[in-house]
Amino acid sequence: MKGYRKYFGKKIFWFIITFIAAVILNFVLPRLMPADPVAGITSRLAQGVTDATAVQEIYQRYAEEFGTNRSMVEQFFIFVGNALHGDFGTSFSQYPREVSDIILSALPWTLALQLPAILIGWLLGNVLGALAAYIRKGFDKILMPVTMFLSAIPAFGMAVILLVVFALTLHIAPSSGAYGQGMVPNLSWNFIWSVITHYQLPFWSVVLVSIGGQAVGMRSMSIYELNADYVKYARFLGIKDRKIVGYVFRNAMLPQITGLAMSLGTMMSGALVAEIIFSYPGLGSTMYDAVTSADYPLISATTLIITIMVLISTFVLDIVYGFIDPRVKAAQYD
Amino acid sequence: MKNTIRQVFHSPKFLVGFIIFVAILLLTIIYPIFNPGNPLQQIGLGTFAPPGTYVSLYDAVTTGTSTFRLDDAEANRLAQVLTDDDRISMVNWLTAMDVDVSGLDISDTEALLEVWFANYDSTARPEGMTNAQRNYYVRLNNNLLSMSTAESLTVTQPDDEGEPEEVAEISDTDYVNVNDVANVITLPLGTDNFGRDVLKELVSAIGTSLLIGLVAGCIATFIGLLLGLLSGYVGGVLDDIVMFITNIFTVIPSFVLLILINYSIGQENRGAMVVALVIGLTSWTWTTRSVRSQVISLRNRDHVNLSKLSGHSLVRIVLTDILPYIASYVVMAFILQISSAILSEAQLSLLGLGPKTTEVPTLGLMMNWAMLYSAHLGGKWWAYFPVIGVIALISFSLNLMNTGLDQVFNPTLRD
Amino acid sequence: MSKTMLEVRELTTKYITRFHEDVYAVDHVSLKIEEGKSLGIAGESGCGKSTLALSLMGYYFPPLHYTSGDIIIDGKNISGMKPDDVRKNVLGTEIAYIPQAAMNALNPTRKIRKFIEDVVLAHEPKRDKKEIYEMAKARFDELGLPVEALDKHAVELSGGMKQRVVIAISTILKPKVLIADEPSSALDVTSQKMVIKMLREMMEKGLIRAMIFITHELPLLYNVTDDIMVMYAGQIVERGTAKQMVFDPIHPYSHGLMHSILVPEEGTRDNKLTAIPGTPPNLKHPPQGCRFADRCKYATPACRVNAQPMVEFEDGRTYRCSLSVEHLREVYKSEE
Repeated sequence: MKGYRKYFGKKIFWFIITFIAAVILNFVLPRLMPADPVAGITSRLAQGVTDATAVQEIYQRYAEEFGTNRSMVEQFFIFVGNALHGDFGTSFSQYPREVSDIILSALPWTLALQLPAILIGWLLGNVLGALAAYIRKGFDKILMPVTMFLSAIPAFGMAVILLVVFALTLHIAPSSGAYGQGMVPNLSWNFIWSVITHYQLPFWSVVLVSIGGQAVGMRSMSIYELNADYVKYARFLGIKDRKIVGYVFRNAMLPQITGLAMSLGTMMSGALVAEIIFSYPGLGSTMYDAVTSADYPLISATTLIITIMVLISTFVLDIVYGFIDPRVKAAQYD
Repeated sequence: MKNTIRQVFHSPKFLVGFIIFVAILLLTIIYPIFNPGNPLQQIGLGTFAPPGTYVSLYDAVTTGTSTFRLDDAEANRLAQVLTDDDRISMVNWLTAMDVDVSGLDISDTEALLEVWFANYDSTARPEGMTNAQRNYYVRLNNNLLSMSTAESLTVTQPDDEGEPEEVAEISDTDYVNVNDVANVITLPLGTDNFGRDVLKELVSAIGTSLLIGLVAGCIATFIGLLLGLLSGYVGGVLDDIVMFITNIFTVIPSFVLLILINYSIGQENRGAMVVALVIGLTSWTWTTRSVRSQVISLRNRDHVNLSKLSGHSLVRIVLTDILPYIASYVVMAFILQISSAILSEAQLSLLGLGPKTTEVPTLGLMMNWAMLYSAHLGGKWWAYFPVIGVIALISFSLNLMNTGLDQVFNPTLRD
Repeated sequence: MSKTMLEVRELTTKYITRFHEDVYAVDHVSLKIEEGKSLGIAGESGCGKSTLALSLMGYYFPPLHYTSGDIIIDGKNISGMKPDDVRKNVLGTEIAYIPQAAMNALNPTRKIRKFIEDVVLAHEPKRDKKEIYEMAKARFDELGLPVEALDKHAVELSGGMKQRVVIAISTILKPKVLIADEPSSALDVTSQKMVIKMLREMMEKGLIRAMIFITHELPLLYNVTDDIMVMYAGQIVERGTAKQMVFDPIHPYSHGLMHSILVPEEGTRDNKLTAIPGTPPNLKHPPQGCRFADRCKYATPACRVNAQPMVEFEDGRTYRCSLSVEHLREVYKSEE
């Protein structure tokens, strides 16, 4: 039990540390830049305003709202305090909507899209990689180059390809949004069906892209395990090949959980960009809108939420891994 | 060393990847020699001209003609004018009039017209046909008739009094040799939304994106190598500090940092190289980790201890006793950095946070423009598909090279 | 005369390399072990002794392939049996194997108890799991192993413990013949002693009825086995009792092997330490004559041309060399 406790303690410690670091970076990075964000906003808002004092007034108002006229440390604590209340300020582009309100309406879509897509992509990729390692020969020779090419296509590229093929050419799926235009979210069968059909293309574009990388990794891992000494020993004890293959894939798959935790950030950022292609109303599209309309508070809050999502998912994966792989426990004694 | 390189090139995976990559690289070097000029120059006024060879109509009129009488010329001409909808309507009319259309292929213009002219009667009125529909068929029939009977066009120019004066008469049997026309332009990938030559733009974009990948990869590898060596070899407090920072930046997604930094820099200050620098600065963590763990396993090997006992300097030990052993890992990490940097640039550009748009095209910017002008929704495949293809090919070739190297240096993975 | 437990006749097996070349790593090997006896096999690494261990199991998977010969365990010839029959009815029950690297021989993510279940159920699918657990507990107790180890994963055990657990698992079904491939080479001296003690105990208790012990340290076998065979380049070059082989090796290779290692045994301590020069031949293209000729300082030109068969020169002692026993003994004496 001591091994586990040490492992979890370490993971919790790092979770807290990275969390704090993420919040600080989110605050500091934009402020380190020479450009004055308030001046940028003012000049945009004050377009056409010739009266110098009026411009000055606008500047003052936003300096007050952002607190840029206070010291950095003071600003930071105001920022953290507000963030703890879920208060990220008011959006510029969707004035007077609260930033937290926008984020809250986008977050479920992103979660519902990315969590299952990444998990299923991971699972399918591992199964394919394991098959490639076990069957080898023709299967491996054809499958591996194909999956490698598939994984080389960026998520947004896959999104465009699926969109053009299935939505615009074959007309078997809708091309944009998360549900039919003009629909009001409710629990009717009609609406749910619309959500499901709109879900398909974004979902599969994320799945297809994540399969490749996982399959390649799992294949190497399985080949490595298939050559391990315990496989030979188990064979000489008369254990059936099928059972041994079970050992091998379990052992190869467990480290793939850590692999998933490590590539999560990259996978999620790819999926976020893919959202834009489908105008899927998640955080990716929110981010895109925020950037194109220079909505600073919204950008800041979206990046923070994305970071927190990645941190929590990584943490959960690490904990799950610690529970199911006994090798972790042993490693802690070293 | 020589032996290692020979071994690497014996790996079929590496070789295929290498050939693809070099082919792409050569394209960016050779193509501009044959087709020089500014890739961002707007040559067309409209948006999204489809791929093909464009012949100047103006010049063609005054070019010497040859006469050809080709049997299918008229049919081809009609086929070009007759839309699919028209064809379907024609068949509908024929069906409604109980003409046997079984076995009629509507893409076979000649056969369709033959049946049509043999059966069409403007006075006939199939059941349920509205007046508007009837008029449509009359118009369609007249068009088809005039297309098949008109024999020449007259080109005029206003003379001094403003009266039209005949310049040339063009018969339907006149042909010009494309080689004789003064202005012909071939656009293998058409033009983009700004009327630029997509192929020229693409080649230039590949060059820029590869450069971004290379610069970012170099920066990331350099930082990663330096920190990895220091923390692995020196160890102690330095190791703790470096690993503390590295662990933090491994978990915080670099994409988020890229967004925040790029946004703060502002559009005007974001040159392609600035973006490359930022990408490089946010993607060194993997190299640091793998270099460090390699160095730690090397640190207490006999040959390193021997060098230490011989009083060699730290720099010398690192250069001669450590670096050669981790070189393969560093090269592999470098290759992956290039590929992920190119992808990062593309994703940033799609968000609108890529390099500024006025200087050079990049793969990401081209993708961004194509999406902004809804090329994908309008079926303008040439504006986005080659870009996706090139990005996929580049990272495919780099991944292949990497897998090949991995198999050479980790024999258990060999087939 | 006691019963023959294991008899091997002219066994030949080969590796097929990635480049489709045949490498005969076990070349017409014959041997015989009687009930209650143990046989040691010694040789340098790469001489084919580990391959011989694998080949004796009668169960082949790539890149190792069976070519010819017979393996007869307690009167039953297993060479002609179908692989799945061998798996079910021979492996673990008739003949068992202890691998070279016990460190990695156990699946790291499976509990020892579960693994023992897998082993037993592979042969007796109807056995009750609880019963198997009780049996495993009893066996661990009998062999002096802590019963708690059953509920642990392999990664949680120390090296010496892992090796002993592996031995216990290999013999859980009371196999007639045990083949131990360098079971002690990676361990510290104390663990080595424990492993050897354990093997001898199992012989005495009748848990196993004959044993083959493979090692690159010829002198180590003196304490462990009754007979010793020396192997070189896929062939047996000499066989005799442990005492004979350690104090009176005849074949130049056995002699070299005996003298290339610092030995703590009395009577051998004064021997001059000399390494055997050169490396074993490439078995892709084995030499035409005696395989040791290139490294043998007594070799005559004829040695390189004519292959030598195994010859019996004293009761139960065989060797493979064209030089006479008397000549060799004289030469060795003169060198001391």
